[in-house]
Amino acid sequence: MRGLFAIARREMAGLFIGPLAWLLLFIALLLNGWLFVLYLKMSSGDVDIALRLSLGESWTFWVLVILVPPLLTMRMISEESRSGLLEFLLTAPVTDAAVVTGKFIAAVTFLALLWSTVFVYALVLQSLGMPPDWGSVAGGWLGAVLVSALSCAIGLLASALTSTPIVAAFAAVVANLVLVAAPLFAGLSDQAWVRRAVARIDVIDHHKSAFLAGSLDTAYVVFFVAWTALFLFVTVRAVEARRWR
Amino acid sequence: MISVSHLTRTFGALRALDDVSFEIQPGEVVGFLGPNGAGKTTAMRILTGYLPASSGTVRVAGFDVLRQSLEVRRRIGYLPESVPLYREHRVVEMLEFQARLHTIPRKERSARIDEVLEQVGLTDRKQDLVGNLSRGLRQRAGLAVALLPRPEVLILDEPTSGLDPIQRLDVRKLIQGLGRRHTVLLSSHILPEIEAVCPRVIIVHKGRIAADGTPSELVARLAGSSHVRLEAVVGHDVAAAIRILRTIRGLRDVVDRGRVGVHHQFDLICDEDLREEVGAIAAAKSWALRELSWRRPTLEQIFARIALGSGEEPVEPAASALVAVPEPPTEPIAITGLPVAPAKPAQPARVVYNLNPFDRGASRDLSSPKAVEETPGSQAPPPA
Repeated sequence: MRGLFAIARREMAGLFIGPLAWLLLFIALLLNGWLFVLYLKMSSGDVDIALRLSLGESWTFWVLVILVPPLLTMRMISEESRSGLLEFLLTAPVTDAAVVTGKFIAAVTFLALLWSTVFVYALVLQSLGMPPDWGSVAGGWLGAVLVSALSCAIGLLASALTSTPIVAAFAAVVANLVLVAAPLFAGLSDQAWVRRAVARIDVIDHHKSAFLAGSLDTAYVVFFVAWTALFLFVTVRAVEARRWR
Repeated sequence: MISVSHLTRTFGALRALDDVSFEIQPGEVVGFLGPNGAGKTTAMRILTGYLPASSGTVRVAGFDVLRQSLEVRRRIGYLPESVPLYREHRVVEMLEFQARLHTIPRKERSARIDEVLEQVGLTDRKQDLVGNLSRGLRQRAGLAVALLPRPEVLILDEPTSGLDPIQRLDVRKLIQGLGRRHTVLLSSHILPEIEAVCPRVIIVHKGRIAADGTPSELVARLAGSSHVRLEAVVGHDVAAAIRILRTIRGLRDVVDRGRVGVHHQFDLICDEDLREEVGAIAAAKSWALRELSWRRPTLEQIFARIALGSGEEPVEPAASALVAVPEPPTEPIAITGLPVAPAKPAQPARVVYNLNPFDRGASRDLSSPKAVEETPGSQAPPPA
């Protein structure tokens, strides 16, 4: 357990030492801030609609969810396996699961930080005398973090399966895209059961209908946690499989 | 401390390790010696639990590396050949990370870090970025990381590869100092190094243990051709001189190496150093001495012998230079249209290649022999 935190901490430090994390943070925050002002104007000053737009109602949110986590996680396993650092970590007294989970925690913490700027917007609005719906903001933030966690887990799996960061990032972006856009593709089918089945894994809808509405529905929490855990589990196995190659 | 029995590891069709067994006692410094690709790194990776074995058991400090992997990993300091360190971190940060991984209590942490930095001589570079360190310093930083948790067993994969001779000497001294506190297993393909550092050597070749013992034992067992070289003026009656030399006790044989000017050269095959006895005879017979030396085969020669195969001299590729021969070069090659020397009866088959440049020119098939004759002897080759 302590090894897990040591790895998560090292990974956070590694993220922030390099320029990539700062660059991603800069771009995402700039975009978010600018878009939030735009949303406020569009909704003619409706605070709640603007906050919901920046936490999941808008397509830009989903673009960030699809693009940012793969860029964070692409190097985490693939590059270390190349440089031999994975050999160091896998012979250190920590389990493979701790190595993968430590890296995952670091990536999710980064994204949680990224989304938490919404609280700043909300606080500013409150101080200006327009109190937002805090339940919706908190739920939306939690949902955003869970959605990003799922995307991070997919990114880590891609990173564990390849040994080139760019390939890992590309594969993860494609996988994320497929997951997020699955309902759109299913809509093309005239078979009702296909559409019903895909609706069960409709990430956008799960996020919008529960978290953004400000309700903490355990079914939806479990949905995201379970899928994330599944991908993490497969990642651990993929790391383990590297030993056999 | 380390016990390996019937360890086998395959990568697909390749047998990287083939039924390897050895034991290492606590406090021993053992050198793993072998050419590149002999299986040294694979063996070390299995010992650290990084790679699983295909079959066989490996125990480190009494724990099975597969089933009690974490217990083993806590007791092992491992320095892979690539010296994996986070380039973007400072030396001291890397050590702190290692300390956290090994759950060294916070209070002891900085004292312990200073201690290892002192040990490897990096105290003044502890704030340097790992990526900015030179190869030799990085090696030392890697060693510091491996030493930090005070491992019982230290496994070093080619710790001196890529270093200049002075850095090499430094690292060697460092390792010699480690033997007192740790059990050390290090690998190298550089013999003098292993000879200097390790009281015990395990020679690995093609995934098997070719030899195991102290360097001098190996020399004695595998070579058996230590001798006293005598070069002296012995007069015309060489046979008489040889007869006199044979009277020395402990002498196994005298090899006459012929005349060198007025001097005559002999190799006196013996297991012990008989220079004094030989010298006494030379003095008694008033032979003018030019050379009297005790020669033992070095580990290097033994190693070359093992690596090239059982005592055989390396075969010069002769007529085969024109064509890539898929078979081993010991096969005789008959060139069609040319008179062929009679084949030695010991060789069962003769491979015939199409070397006729007028037969379809460059497009002729040279990847496989044109014919393989089963009958040994001096038969003429088939007409082209």
